[in-house]
Amino acid sequence: MDEPGRGQERQQTRAPEMELIREAQAGSRAAFDELVRQYEQQVLRLALHLTGSEQDAEDIYQEAFLKAFRYIGNFRFECSFYTWIYRIVTNLCLDQLRRKKTRREDQSVVLDHSGDEIDVLSSVSDNRSFSNPGKELDRKVLGERIQAALNKLTPRERMVFELKHYQGLRLRTIGEMLNTTEETAKNTLFRATKKLRNQLAGLR
Amino acid sequence: MNCEVAHERIVLAAYGELTDEQAHELERHLAACPDCSHERQQILALQALAAVHPVIEPDANLVARSRLRLEEALDSLPPKRWYERIGQSILRNVAGLQAAPLAAVLLLVIGAGAGTLGGYEFAQDRMAHVAGRVQAASVQPKPAEEAPAEIANISSIARQPNSDMIEVRYNQLVPQRAEGPLDDPAIRQLLMLASENASSAGVRDDSVGLLAAACRAGHACKGDGFRDVLMTALRYDKNEGVRAKALEGLEPYVAEDMRVRDSVLEAVLYDSDPRIRTAAINVLEPVEADTSVRQVLSTVANSDHNPHIRNASREVLSRAPVIQ
Repeated sequence: MDEPGRGQERQQTRAPEMELIREAQAGSRAAFDELVRQYEQQVLRLALHLTGSEQDAEDIYQEAFLKAFRYIGNFRFECSFYTWIYRIVTNLCLDQLRRKKTRREDQSVVLDHSGDEIDVLSSVSDNRSFSNPGKELDRKVLGERIQAALNKLTPRERMVFELKHYQGLRLRTIGEMLNTTEETAKNTLFRATKKLRNQLAGLR
Repeated sequence: MNCEVAHERIVLAAYGELTDEQAHELERHLAACPDCSHERQQILALQALAAVHPVIEPDANLVARSRLRLEEALDSLPPKRWYERIGQSILRNVAGLQAAPLAAVLLLVIGAGAGTLGGYEFAQDRMAHVAGRVQAASVQPKPAEEAPAEIANISSIARQPNSDMIEVRYNQLVPQRAEGPLDDPAIRQLLMLASENASSAGVRDDSVGLLAAACRAGHACKGDGFRDVLMTALRYDKNEGVRAKALEGLEPYVAEDMRVRDSVLEAVLYDSDPRIRTAAINVLEPVEADTSVRQVLSTVANSDHNPHIRNASREVLSRAPVIQ
C-alpha cells in the first residue's frame, strides 16, 4: 500500500494542468512548484543553448519563474500555459541577446556555473577509443564558425531560428510566443536562413 | 510556382511546415528547376551544419541549483495582501463569467444598479460641495423659477418612542443655475463636474467641448485639472463625439506631457471608434519618434482590424527616423 504522502504526490502529478494553474492562482505554492517542475527542463535547455552559459541560463530561469509567480493571477487561459511561460522566457532571452550581442568568444563550449568550459563537441563526437584529433579540431572550428554566423543574426532572427531549428516548434507557436503572426515568424525564418547560408557558404 | 516562392517553400519543407499538397507541388518544381534543386541542397547542408552546435540537456546539478535558488526567492517574497488576492479573484471570476451569459447578465444588472446608486450618492455629495463653492464665488446662483424641489434620497427613518411621531430625514435636489465667464473658477468646476457626471451625452459634449477649446487656446489648461478631465473623457466616455473633443483639447500637450501622450496611445490601441483611433495617430505626430509610440504603432500596424488604421500606422512608422 502506498504511503499517503506518495499517493498525494502522484495525484498532484496527474492533476490536469488547468487545475494546477487555478490552484496556483489561488495561492497554492505546491501547485506552482509542480508547474515549475513540468517546464523547468525546457526553459533551461532553451536558455542554455541561446546564452552558452550555465550562469546566464540559471538567471533566466530565475527571472522567468519569478515573473510567472508574480503574474500567474493574470493568466486567463486564452492561450496554453506552455505558450505563456515560453513567451516570458523568450522575452528574457531576447533581452539577454541584445545585451550580449558582441560578447561571444569561444562558442563551441558552454560555460558551467564556475566559469569552466564544458566541451559540447566532445559530448557528441566519436565514442571510439581511438578518436581522430584532427577531426575533433575540425568540428571545434566548425562549431565556432556556426556560432559566429548565428551571432550575426539579429536577436529576433536568432530567436526564431533557435525555436524552429533547435527547439522544433511550429511557426504558428513561435508567432504566438513572440507576440506576432505566423507570417512574420515565417519571414523572419527566411531571412535568418538566407543570412546563415551566406555566412556559411563554402563550409562542408 | 516561381523560384522565389519555391525558395521559401524549400525552407518550410526542410522544417516540416508544408502541407502535403504544397510539398507535392514543390517536388514537381524541383524536378524541373536545377537552381532550386541546388538551393534545397544548400538548405539541407545548412541544417546539417547547424547540428554541429547541438542542444544539450541541462544536467541534474544545474536543474537542482536553479530550483533551489528559485525556492529561496519565492520563500522570501512577502505574502500577497488581502486586497490583491480579492482583486485578482474578481478579475478571474469576471473573465470566467464570459462563459456564463445568464449569470453575466444578472451580475451586470445588479452591478449597474449598485453602481448607479453609488454614483448618484457620490454625485449628490459632489454637487453639494460644488454648490457650496459656487455660492462663495462672485457668480450668484439663482434658483430655477418654479421648479419643485425633488427628494433625492431618504437617509433615515425613526419612530419616536411612546409616540405616533415618525422622524424622516431626507435630502432634496434643489435645481440651481449659474452664469459666468470661462475664467471663473466656479464655472470651470461645474464644467469639469459635467464632463464626468452628466447623464446626458449632449451636456458632456458641451462641457468637454468648452474645456477643450480653452486648452487649445492655450490658457487655463495648466492647472485646475482640465487635462485630467479631458484624459478621463478620452478614456471612459461612451460617446465618441465627447472623446473626439477631448482628444482635440489634449493635442497641444502631447509633446510636453507624458501622461497625455500615454492617454493618446491608449486611445490608438483600444478606442472602439476607428475615427478616434485615426485622429489619435495624427495627434502623435510631434512624438512619432518616441520608442513607446513606435512600439504601439507597430502593434497597431500588424493587428488592428481596420486596414486604414494599419496603413496610417505604417505610414507614420516609415516617416519617423529609426531609433538605433
